[in-house]
Amino acid sequence: MATTVNKKKYKAPRVFLIVMAVGVFITGMYGFGSKLEQFIRAVIVENEADFTLIPVLNYMFAAAGFLCLFGWAAKNGMFKDLEKPKYDMLEYDRELDEVDGIDWEKQA
Amino acid sequence: MTTAASPPLMPARDTSGAHALVDHKLVTSYFVASFVYYIIALLAGGLYSMQFLQHYPFPGAELFSPGRIRMLHTNGMAYGFIANAFLGGLHWAVPRLTLRPVLSAKLSWFIFIAWQGIVLGTVGGLLTGQAQAVEWGETPVWIDPVAVLGLTLVGANFLASVFRMRSSMYVSVWYFIAALPWTLLTYTMGNFFVEYWIGGTASGAIIGLFIHDLVGLFVTPIGWGLMYYFVPIILKKPIWSHGLSLVGFWGLAFFYPLNGIHHFLYTPIPMFLQHGAIVATIAVEFVVTTVIINFFMTLRGSGDALRRNLPIRWFYVGMVFYFTTCLQCAFQVTLTFQKIIHFSDWVVGHAHLVMFGVFGFWIMGMFTYLFPRLVGATRWYSDKLNAWHFWLSAIGMLIMFFDLVIAGLVQGFLWKDLAIWEESLRASMPFWMIRSWSGLGIIVAQFLFGWNMYKTATDRSLRAA
Repeated sequence: MATTVNKKKYKAPRVFLIVMAVGVFITGMYGFGSKLEQFIRAVIVENEADFTLIPVLNYMFAAAGFLCLFGWAAKNGMFKDLEKPKYDMLEYDRELDEVDGIDWEKQA
Repeated sequence: MTTAASPPLMPARDTSGAHALVDHKLVTSYFVASFVYYIIALLAGGLYSMQFLQHYPFPGAELFSPGRIRMLHTNGMAYGFIANAFLGGLHWAVPRLTLRPVLSAKLSWFIFIAWQGIVLGTVGGLLTGQAQAVEWGETPVWIDPVAVLGLTLVGANFLASVFRMRSSMYVSVWYFIAALPWTLLTYTMGNFFVEYWIGGTASGAIIGLFIHDLVGLFVTPIGWGLMYYFVPIILKKPIWSHGLSLVGFWGLAFFYPLNGIHHFLYTPIPMFLQHGAIVATIAVEFVVTTVIINFFMTLRGSGDALRRNLPIRWFYVGMVFYFTTCLQCAFQVTLTFQKIIHFSDWVVGHAHLVMFGVFGFWIMGMFTYLFPRLVGATRWYSDKLNAWHFWLSAIGMLIMFFDLVIAGLVQGFLWKDLAIWEESLRASMPFWMIRSWSGLGIIVAQFLFGWNMYKTATDRSLRAA
């Protein structure tokens, strides 16, 4: 490629990213935690375990799978450079379009 | 604009033929099948709306009874229109994102044919009264094992491309690899658990999860995945923050699945599950906010694209509708709000805005961008028809949405005041009339688009030299 992307121009401030990530985590964990606490209370006090077991197990099953996926991704360095994939995908598509005879400069 | 000069991630990759990666005929076939089911499902919706106006054209005909036609409308949209469009979109996006073809071209065609069989079997089953008592999962019981097998094959076919990747995954790929097993699990849960193992109120909780997860774990991740692919490609610039998009993805993955019970507030389902669903839903609003901010920040400096680029306009109007539906969600999951809107047309308006205003609009954006290229045309047959398609759809959708939202409030307050049932019916009639007319506008728009598609595909003067 003859030209380069101005990467600074297309980058969100890091602090914004952290605030949003923490926000999602705290609110999400609050929802999850309160659900789990009430579930345990229902099992012990209200004896409604049978009723709630399937939805809760279903969630646990899916969440466990995603926890494994998250761990696998982190171990394989998927989060080392968070912004790199967005430039790569654009580059690949441009190359593929060039093969098809489509000129990005004209389309832009 | 300038472009990236990042070092090649996969030196061994072969981009010598984009056609070798993507089967254009297969994608076209999916899009055409999707569009045909879309028209059928829309007509079924229009027909069903006439029942509310006491002008149903087939009174007493069991095969076309309104209840069955309604199921044709909802299932046709989900499995005929959206699923086919998404499968076509995935066949385009996944190989181009991974630079690896799908597992097998023959398997892809087999899945395409089998999926049309599943949808047609569902249509036949619904019309002949073989529906399951599961909202959106009414597919006849004999279809379910075939559909599960089909979804497994779909997963294997696309995941093979992903697992052969050697680079960090772009957010679209994350969404796709999540959606494929999620859809399989969700379909299995909704169609087998309730049918064979769980009864009573517990089945209500499962059905709530099923309906919501079908939107949140099938339609949403594939929809967002495709948006994260098409928007940067069309704007020719990267998404504003890939890190933020991953926050959105992992937030959806961990905190979405238990929201479904918010569809069943004030039911015999234990209150702790209802309260939990309310809190989790509000948490997911945070996730939604990250996605919305990311896309609108990506548009910064390219706002003119909304005016001159029709696919981008479809995508971003759909995104405004998405934000609207999520804002509605934040309110309508509260018990206070539910006292008024429960069982009313408010919910119907919300559902139409989600399925047509958001995902339908994104699919139309994808069709508008890709279709001429898929059929080897240099441009659309008529830009004017495309403009009519957009404006009639958008105006029709807006009218239908506001009409049903207001109708829902009128009904809710009348019921709260213990007005007699007939009074609420009389009050609803003008709203139902407007709903039918706005729906007619939407249907006309799609016929115009269908004609444009046909002419674009067949007009030889549009072929590349």
